[in-house]
Amino acid sequence: MDKSNTIIDIGNISKVYEMGGEPVYAIRDISLEIKKNEYLAIMGPSGSGKSTLMNILGCLDTPTTGRYFFKGNDINDMTDNDLAEIRNREIGFVFQTFNLLPRSSALKNVELPLIYSGMKKSERDEIARNTLIDVGLADRISHKPNELSGGQRQRVAVARALVTSPSIILADEPTGNLDSKTGVEIMHLFYELWKKGNTIILVTHEEEIALHANRIIRLRDGLVERDEINHHQRIE
Amino acid sequence: MNIGESVILAFDSIRVNKLRAFLTLLSIAIGVFAIVGAGTLVSSLEGMITQQLADVGETSFWIQRMPKIQRMGEGRSRRKPITYTQYKQFKRLMTSTDWISAYSFTQGMTVKNGNLSTDQDVNLIGCEEYFFIINGTNIVEGRPFTEDDITSNRNVAIIGNDVITKIFPNQNPLGKYLTVGSQSYEIIGVLEAKGATFGQSQDNKIVIPLTKFLTYHANEFEQSLDISIKAYKKELLSSTIDDAYGAMRVARNIKPGEENTFDLDTNDTITDQFSGFMTFISVFGFFSGFIALIAAGIGITNIMLVSVKERTREIGIRKAVGAKKRWIMNQFFIETITICQVGGLFGILLGLAGAGILSSAVGLKIVFPITWVVFSIVICTILGLVAGVYPAMKAANLDPIEALRYE
Repeated sequence: MDKSNTIIDIGNISKVYEMGGEPVYAIRDISLEIKKNEYLAIMGPSGSGKSTLMNILGCLDTPTTGRYFFKGNDINDMTDNDLAEIRNREIGFVFQTFNLLPRSSALKNVELPLIYSGMKKSERDEIARNTLIDVGLADRISHKPNELSGGQRQRVAVARALVTSPSIILADEPTGNLDSKTGVEIMHLFYELWKKGNTIILVTHEEEIALHANRIIRLRDGLVERDEINHHQRIE
Repeated sequence: MNIGESVILAFDSIRVNKLRAFLTLLSIAIGVFAIVGAGTLVSSLEGMITQQLADVGETSFWIQRMPKIQRMGEGRSRRKPITYTQYKQFKRLMTSTDWISAYSFTQGMTVKNGNLSTDQDVNLIGCEEYFFIINGTNIVEGRPFTEDDITSNRNVAIIGNDVITKIFPNQNPLGKYLTVGSQSYEIIGVLEAKGATFGQSQDNKIVIPLTKFLTYHANEFEQSLDISIKAYKKELLSSTIDDAYGAMRVARNIKPGEENTFDLDTNDTITDQFSGFMTFISVFGFFSGFIALIAAGIGITNIMLVSVKERTREIGIRKAVGAKKRWIMNQFFIETITICQVGGLFGILLGLAGAGILSSAVGLKIVFPITWVVFSIVICTILGLVAGVYPAMKAANLDPIEALRYE
């Protein structure tokens, strides 16, 4: 099998918590391959394990058992610092609650991953600025989060996710805190990013949002219920 | 990501948490204030004493009934007064130097010139002709006492500036007369102005011949005298001191084997006694400052822990976008150290200002205590390191998922 296009390759991963001496499976035996330029939605009701799966995919957490290769590198062998480096270079997070630094300007927020990747100030300033322009915030560069609308905040978060040119963008309920009109705008932004060749993983419990993806994985009780190509992809 | 970035991040978070940072560095400032304040005071006092002893000269020494500085626990032994008669005999027996003058003084005198009068606060000093040489007192106008003034017991006086200002305003006092009690004195000289020490003017005094003083202004003629002596040369100081011990024992009729019933102080013994006192102030200032700093350190650890807690989500965000443990640690570490150093700087300024105000209020020349200042900065840095370790580690070890979920 050709693996050159594979970004994420996980096999039989489980995450087990101890609760009152009893093992509880958050996810069980999940295997998944995600290729470059896929637009994947992970769906499921709350408690289905989608958050756990997302945390593991995003290298914020490691599975209890199973294998996880990220671009051919074994995640299980990695230290906390190695994982931080993967998150920094390969993964861009977009959260439901935006998770911006409240007292820093849009520019500072977008610069943050570049600071940690060791880029020089002049260089990162320019890249962050351009990324903000790309997401349509040319006139909001020095605004602080509380001076921005919800949609604008999420655009800042998207810019922060994009700024290191990561291998995947991992979006956790990105429209969950937005009104439907703004949500549509954000989904359009994701669609454009996908068209430009980005790989996007969308975690959501909303069917309508999930329909934007070209592949949908449905989780239930920690197991993959269905994994199918979406033939009715919605385009905003 | 380097130290420079960490410092920028640290200053950023101090800027956005102004009140907390201010309160924290206030606590440090208080500790450093105590240390630097005590340091400045000690340095200034030492400077003053050194200056005064230098004025007097290192070959002078003094004999009196009791030690100048009495240590605690040393009971007041009942020593007989050093009388004028004993002094005369002492002077006869002293062959190694002529520079000898007994002296005595009384405070709270009123000095008059016709209708003009001073307050009842003038120091009246009785002494002999060598008093001025021995004690390094300069006479800027007129002349000192001559041997004749003393032996003939003349009614002459040498006066300080304050007296002139009060009762001879805008006049040349030389040759004029002033009255103290029942006696009238011709003014023959003016003392060099010395300013104030410990808020007390050194110029509010008049000096008259010793026997006049004892006859008309002392409680009793046989009151105990102090004796000041000066060796001719530094090389002769120790033999002159030996000589003085011998002469005084004979004059006081002390039998061989008996202890001295008087006290002899040299520049060195005064410096020693004084430096004991200075050490006490230093140690006291240092320890109270040190304890305040320990308390401040605990406070800082506490505040930084609150800060870590409050910024849990921020830490989560930073970790999610790729901050390694070390960088989170650096950020909080450098923040703590920065707060400590800025606080220390405040404390140093406060300490210098406080000691400066105090010093100028009591007429001390301020000496900048450079060692104490450097020491304070070092202490603050160490304090930052120690106080910052636990909060920084706690921040660095936060689980990013938990941290991101924190409300």
